[in-house]
Amino acid sequence: MKKKSEDVTPVLKKLEELGKDMVEDIGMGESPKFECLLRSRSNIVYDEDAGYIKLGDKREARTFLNVGQAKKFMQTVAVASKCKKFLKENSHTSIRGLFYQLKFTLGDNVDEELFSEQSESNPLVEDLEVALDVKREDLNLNTDRKGVVAGNLVLRDKFGGAVDEIDCSKQGRSGWMIPSDVDNGMEFVSVDAEYVLVVEKDALWQRLNEDKFWKKENCILISPKGQSSRGCRRLIRKLADRKLPVLCFTDCDAWGWYIYWTIKTGSMNLAYLGSDIATPEAKFIGVTMKDIIDYDFLGKLTIKTKDVDLKRAEEMLTYPWITAHKEWVEELKTVLATKKKIEQDALQGPRLSFVGEYVREKIENKKFLP
Amino acid sequence: MEEEREINGSEIFKEFKEYSVVEFFKKNRQMLGFAGKVRSLTTIVNEYTTNSLDACEEAGILPEVMVKIEELPDGHMKVTIQDNGPGIPPSHLGKAMGMMLAGTKFHRYMQQRGQQGIGGAGCTLFSQMTTGKSTKMRSGLGDGKVHECDMKIDVKSNQPVITNQMEFMGNFRGLRVESEFADVKYDKSEHGVYEYLKRTAMANPHAQITLMEPTGEKHVFQRASDKIPEKPAEIQPHPLGITTGDLVDIAHRTDSRKLSSFLVNTFSRMSSAKVEELAKLVPTVNFEKAPKDLKWPEAEAVVNAIKTLKWIAPPTDALRPIGSDQIEKALRNILAPEFVSVSNRKPKVFRGGVPFVVEAAIAYGGNSGRARNDEGRGGDIIRYANRVPLMFDAGGCAITEAVKNIDWKRYDIKDFESEPVTVFANFVSVHVPYTGTGKQAITNEEEIVEEIRYAIMEVARDMQVYLRGKIREMDKETKKKIIMRYVKELSMDLSDLAGESTPADIEKKLVNMIETKYEKIEGEAEEVEKVEEVKEGEENEKEE
Repeated sequence: MKKKSEDVTPVLKKLEELGKDMVEDIGMGESPKFECLLRSRSNIVYDEDAGYIKLGDKREARTFLNVGQAKKFMQTVAVASKCKKFLKENSHTSIRGLFYQLKFTLGDNVDEELFSEQSESNPLVEDLEVALDVKREDLNLNTDRKGVVAGNLVLRDKFGGAVDEIDCSKQGRSGWMIPSDVDNGMEFVSVDAEYVLVVEKDALWQRLNEDKFWKKENCILISPKGQSSRGCRRLIRKLADRKLPVLCFTDCDAWGWYIYWTIKTGSMNLAYLGSDIATPEAKFIGVTMKDIIDYDFLGKLTIKTKDVDLKRAEEMLTYPWITAHKEWVEELKTVLATKKKIEQDALQGPRLSFVGEYVREKIENKKFLP
Repeated sequence: MEEEREINGSEIFKEFKEYSVVEFFKKNRQMLGFAGKVRSLTTIVNEYTTNSLDACEEAGILPEVMVKIEELPDGHMKVTIQDNGPGIPPSHLGKAMGMMLAGTKFHRYMQQRGQQGIGGAGCTLFSQMTTGKSTKMRSGLGDGKVHECDMKIDVKSNQPVITNQMEFMGNFRGLRVESEFADVKYDKSEHGVYEYLKRTAMANPHAQITLMEPTGEKHVFQRASDKIPEKPAEIQPHPLGITTGDLVDIAHRTDSRKLSSFLVNTFSRMSSAKVEELAKLVPTVNFEKAPKDLKWPEAEAVVNAIKTLKWIAPPTDALRPIGSDQIEKALRNILAPEFVSVSNRKPKVFRGGVPFVVEAAIAYGGNSGRARNDEGRGGDIIRYANRVPLMFDAGGCAITEAVKNIDWKRYDIKDFESEPVTVFANFVSVHVPYTGTGKQAITNEEEIVEEIRYAIMEVARDMQVYLRGKIREMDKETKKKIIMRYVKELSMDLSDLAGESTPADIEKKLVNMIETKYEKIEGEAEEVEKVEEVKEGEENEKEE
């Protein structure tokens, strides 16, 4: 990966180089240009060998001396310049905060704002991430925190002038909330676990946390609380880099499975982050439609699918990286045929502690889906 | 079906036996367009204006219509409408303006503006109900004599009550109606009289329309064309366009002695072989009986059976579109736009047999679009059925649906709600499938929506070419100015970002570059832009 944690200099340097190239162009009497990989759908590809979604080779360029591109070019430079300032001051903000910093009138008889809507500045942040090959967190732009972790994991967090050691085995009932940036000013002190268990729903995470499942099984217990955030996906990736197997546990419906696939292959929206947030080695524990055969009580605990579930299932059947696995095609087709789904929560049907027994049994028998 | 049934003539006359006209009117007020204060006033002006325009058209006269609206001290509104039409002979005045449902349009099957015949008499009645006053008429046939009278309706017998009749010498030709109303309101909203007349003018470039507002302000929608529209042809109705109500109504008026011969004589494409087929489908109906005895359920069965049979499409030569050059003249005249394009499409058929034509146009810039609260102008949709503006119920209308279904970004309209665009669509058919008896929206049927959509896309594409060209053809000075706006900010940010050079130095170099090298680069940039445009054009074609 591109930058080492807590060392902002390389990112700063990249920003400066971007500016220097432009100044050089101008010095030579040429229109300054900005170039980056195209982020549109037509340039999103699945890398079969590596197992994740990334951008293709198509590039787009904008240049200042073109009437149609002049404003966007100026705006791009303004965003880059502002990010450089954040890095120098070592202060963080959100992309909304960035927008407000750049929402001002150009002045000097120009009755026009630099930015008037956040929808103008957001894509430029992504352009910069792609052009410089960095993540927005590396530019000191944070996203909302989402996701929670517990287990034998100790981290060191340098933030706001202080250094704190965080022991994820001592976070009680609430666990440690995963920040948006787990790279810059953040490092692993020790990771003492055998695998990572990712649980879709917070309620099930709380169940397993109360059962001290992570302690008994020596795993790191994470819940993205639904679709996983950038920070959560990045943390899972970093734990996988430590050679820990990653096992996912979601609802038995297209939505839950999609959460798994996003962790595994990354997503179209974040295709430009590619290998940084994808964990192709992740495996799926359940819940699966096949579980109804092994656990017959589940047959009575199915609920009806909603239209969105079916739509999502149909969509997933068009993704080549999913249809490459016949087990998944079968699962998806079963959902479409039976119009039924099973929630993780249903595993609490027989007794509350059954959730842990289910996970244990699956792992012991290596009953995973790819 | 149920709603249409209520407006049907013979049914209405049956009701007269039990209720007075006033009761009937009160009961069906909404249905007749007299719901809401603003809407009521628009309906009144609509009734009078369409009468005037239709009369002029039939007589081959270039219409001049004057509408005056005054607010009286007691809160009543006085509406005066005067035209230069053929006038109404004194002997017919009462029937036309003082008897409900006795117009000349009600029994004829042709593409006309007003089709419900409640017309002027409905207004007379509404005036009388809300103010107790009579309506003043002046009519001149152009023969040197002018006739004046006051009109009321005897609500028990549905007969005109004419008072203060007098005749004098004069050169006045046309009709003048003066009437007072309560329970109505004048405003300049998109549903109001001003907008209604403006839209009427846009679909009737041969008419000169003047509006005097209650404030005293005068608006003249100038005539833009001297071409009087062709008279619509009277045709036999096609079986697929008929409703149960129509069938009962016509059957009860016919001279034919048998139902079978009545059907053959009345409808286009109806042969005796077809009648036999029908008879087999509905054995409960006796096709030998007198048409006058046709009952509602029987008619309903026949109409349903008709829908299951195959029919030769009706002739399309009865359709009377406004015509693309007429529409263009009208839009240029009223909106003074930068750009106008009008579609030119062949008739299509809906419900398996009813022919229709869609005329779509788009206007950009100038006074196109609707004024938004101090935010410039936003996209506007103006809807017509047979040239009559549809002012209400926009949400449920096929035209609105078609506009919504268009991806405007593809035509370089970033946001339809915030660009100076007027989309004009006229649905032309002998049988307009309205959503309700208010006749303010066209039903959302797929084949209709699609055709309207294609027509609008056709003109939107022309507009896109214009908008693209507009950017390309901006003179060098303008282009230079646009880029210059951003030089200062860029210079500061770039100097900060690079950590070298000074804003002043970068600015100087950029300005230099723009001044001296601009033309050369502009030439190159133009080439690129042209190539892109061709590519997108191809994509558009493919997607359609």
